[in-house]
Amino acid sequence: MNWQTIVFDGFTYIMVLYAFSLISFYVCVGIFSVGETRNYIRKNSFTDYRMLASATDAPSITVLAPAHNEGLTIIENVRSLLSLNYINIEVIVINDGSTDDSLEKLIKAYDLYKTDYFINEQIPTQAVLGVYKSRNLVYRKLIVVDKVKGGKADALNVGINISHHDYLVTIDVDCVLEQDAILKLAKPFLEQADKRVIAAGGVLRIANSCEVEGGRLVKIYLPEQFLPRIQTLEYIRAFLLSRMAWTRLNGLLLISGAFGSFDKEIVIKCGGYNNKTVGEDMELLVRMRRYMEEQKEPYKVSFIPDPLCWTEAPATYKTLGIQRNRWTRGTIETLQNHKKMFFNPKYHILGLVSYPYWAFFEFGGPIIETLGYFMFIVFCVVGMVNWSVFFIMMSIFSIGVLYSLFAILMEILTYNQYKQKRDLLRLALVAIAEPFVFHPFVVFSAIKGNFDFLRKRHNWGNMTRQGFTHRRLKTKS
Amino acid sequence: MKILVAEDDELMLKMLEFRLRKDGHEVIVTHDGREALAKINELVPDLVITDIMMPFLSGLEIIGAVKKSYPNTMPVIIISGMGQESVVLEAFQLGADDYITKPFSPNELSVRVKRFDKAIIL
Amino acid sequence: MLLIKLFMLSAFFISLHTLGVIILVFTNLMVCLLIFMLIYMYFRAKREKNQTNYKLISDLLVRKAVFYDGLMLPETLIPVTKRVKKLIDNKDFRNRLTDELVLAKKNITGTSAENIKHLYQQLNLEKYALQLLKSRYWHIKAKAIQELSLMELKEYEFELYPFANNKNELVRMEAQVALVQFNGFEGLLFLDDITYSVSEWQQIKLLQKLSNLPPLLISVDKWLRSSNTSVVIFALKLVRSYHRFELHDAVLQCLDHPDPIVRLQAINCFSEIYTDETSIHLISRFWREGLKHQLAIIKALQNIGSENDNPFLLTLLHNDNYEMKLFAARAIARSGKKGLASLNDYGTYDNKLNDIIIQVKGELAA
Repeated sequence: MNWQTIVFDGFTYIMVLYAFSLISFYVCVGIFSVGETRNYIRKNSFTDYRMLASATDAPSITVLAPAHNEGLTIIENVRSLLSLNYINIEVIVINDGSTDDSLEKLIKAYDLYKTDYFINEQIPTQAVLGVYKSRNLVYRKLIVVDKVKGGKADALNVGINISHHDYLVTIDVDCVLEQDAILKLAKPFLEQADKRVIAAGGVLRIANSCEVEGGRLVKIYLPEQFLPRIQTLEYIRAFLLSRMAWTRLNGLLLISGAFGSFDKEIVIKCGGYNNKTVGEDMELLVRMRRYMEEQKEPYKVSFIPDPLCWTEAPATYKTLGIQRNRWTRGTIETLQNHKKMFFNPKYHILGLVSYPYWAFFEFGGPIIETLGYFMFIVFCVVGMVNWSVFFIMMSIFSIGVLYSLFAILMEILTYNQYKQKRDLLRLALVAIAEPFVFHPFVVFSAIKGNFDFLRKRHNWGNMTRQGFTHRRLKTKS
Repeated sequence: MKILVAEDDELMLKMLEFRLRKDGHEVIVTHDGREALAKINELVPDLVITDIMMPFLSGLEIIGAVKKSYPNTMPVIIISGMGQESVVLEAFQLGADDYITKPFSPNELSVRVKRFDKAIIL
Repeated sequence: MLLIKLFMLSAFFISLHTLGVIILVFTNLMVCLLIFMLIYMYFRAKREKNQTNYKLISDLLVRKAVFYDGLMLPETLIPVTKRVKKLIDNKDFRNRLTDELVLAKKNITGTSAENIKHLYQQLNLEKYALQLLKSRYWHIKAKAIQELSLMELKEYEFELYPFANNKNELVRMEAQVALVQFNGFEGLLFLDDITYSVSEWQQIKLLQKLSNLPPLLISVDKWLRSSNTSVVIFALKLVRSYHRFELHDAVLQCLDHPDPIVRLQAINCFSEIYTDETSIHLISRFWREGLKHQLAIIKALQNIGSENDNPFLLTLLHNDNYEMKLFAARAIARSGKKGLASLNDYGTYDNKLNDIIIQVKGELAA
């Protein structure tokens, strides 16, 4: 056997191993997520959430909404936050050194005045310039904080310092929430009698092309543009399948900062958000889980499949690239910070399953795939066309498409947000197009993210928002 | 009387409308806070009956707005599932004229509404 | 050695032919899945059209019941068309109608509510609910229990009692709520026997149900000594909500309970039931507890303490923890004019403490 054959065969075997583990992963996710989602829907089909809205014992919640240059829509968004169904709530909007007129707009619209507010600096942050409350009784739940720019993590930490309630709900201020979102997010914390629920996550849905009025979702449409449409599919896969499956195993590592709730006591004990990473939401949850494992206390991270939060997805390749690049760097930073847990039995599921999965598939996946393409091309050039690998890659693609179709099926069977048959066909088409158009781009952004990480880039990039003023007028067809 | 009802629960809304119509009142139905406020300014009803938890604008905001623009001529009755003391107090502090908790009796509602009928008082 | 042999075997099987077959299989599966989804959507759309129809009919029936003008005697029959009577055999319509009736009953009281119950029984819908109680699916059982409960069908109470300690949580919860719905405070007797914990969510539900009823003096003290921690916590909430002053000493014992949540609940309880000695007991246990409990004690003292407690609270202003300083300052400020005056001496100690005092004073002024 010459070394060429060894490399050739070795490469084939690695690809086989990768494909095989990917298939088994998909199958497991399919089975677990179906069970967990069905369980949730059955349990909550006749639950009266409104009961919690009017209960005196309901857990006290602080909604944290960091904002930076969101002047375009901030008034509407804050109003919709204030009209959420919940009694025991305070809404803290943190103005992270905006350079536009966000703060002035807020002061005017909500009749704000500066208060003498003692801030208990449990977590060190950048300086706070002022804490504002409203003179109008109707807006008594609102607190607006003005601070020196420090990034999202820093803004959240300021909110935590100011908060007087027991639970935190972090949201992106331009996300559109359903009326009962807080009620549904609060329930998991009250249901477990023997374990402590430290965090609960929710599903993010794509709001592009949907009608949004006054900070509320009025009508749902499948996004018209290709990129948001394919991200719709991707989000359904990620949230309805993958995260529900992980929740069943109690191995969930990521709750999106755009919509998640946390037990404040644990967050503070862990030291709050890490402002040296761009993936602060994942990093915090991993740190919280690690803390509970080290304390040897039984705990759970919950996840809710109901569509409660709608966000705008990047519609251009440029913004998408920046976003995926950032996500990759965040993943790497988190994995690096907690590498002690890798295959460490002391951390149970966290160390034995979750962390290795993220290391091999989320972080390693793009790398292996790129190497796969690269090696395949090299072999072709050298003249040894590796048909086995070619077919393995084809089968990986078709499995991927099958998995996407399964995700669409799950969506139809459960929440069915897109009711027309035409939408189903569009999603299916997009599922087929994905491996050829979208996926390579995402992989490319991830690889770029790896390089950028190595070059130590630490910023958020500049993402221009289309804003929800871009409303779609639909004629009945 | 011309009565405006604001309630996001379809069934509730229909029942209120039916009952009030039976009593001989003219009823304007609205499904959320924003629609309610718009119709209040457009049609200037004699009485407003509103829920608290509604899309866009809460019932409490409506009390505030009505009492600002029509201080003595438009009474507001709150009908809500939220019965806690803090909410009731807040409603009255903002200027509500009456507060009915759900579950409620349609007959009782009818009587309470009659109290505000100026035609009878005068 | 074995591993290499295994790999070589797998290489043999991963020939072009096999892979081709695999891809064909997957493509077929995809097509099948797509066709299945289209068919499903077609049938679902059809079903939804029926549903809108059923909703209209149900709405009409509910309204007929709610606004029934005449005298409602047990024999009175609300007029129901033959068509509707036939539709009741249809599961979809029946479910829809039942849901609407239950929803209406939940939101209305008085004669109108009685009329709804009358219609429900007239149409014999309880028969179906009882059948569903025997279902092997827990969510169907639980829904049936909820239905019987909301329709106030007290005659089935004994059938529901065993479900209160059922191993499925949802069934358990619905049965417990049903018992309270039927019997008010006396329905809580299941707390004597249950082995499973009562979750916070369930406790909130039960308290909410009870809050609509006039309070009854039932014996709560045996629950305060229960071996089931969640029962103790629930009992403490009852003591607090209903101001059971006579149980003050029993609650005092809970201050020494091994479970921290029980102790916290007991501390909070004292905000509502207290004697002039309560603050002494709380202060004596102060340094035994962690920060969370200490803050709760200070908060309780704010509500029940007198100016006699100020010397103790003033010492806390020297504590390192700023949250404790804030809580203590607040309690002192609200204790009276003397307390407020004594705070002024502390303003010069450090800037942060000064800020705290300013904030606390601002709160009093607002």
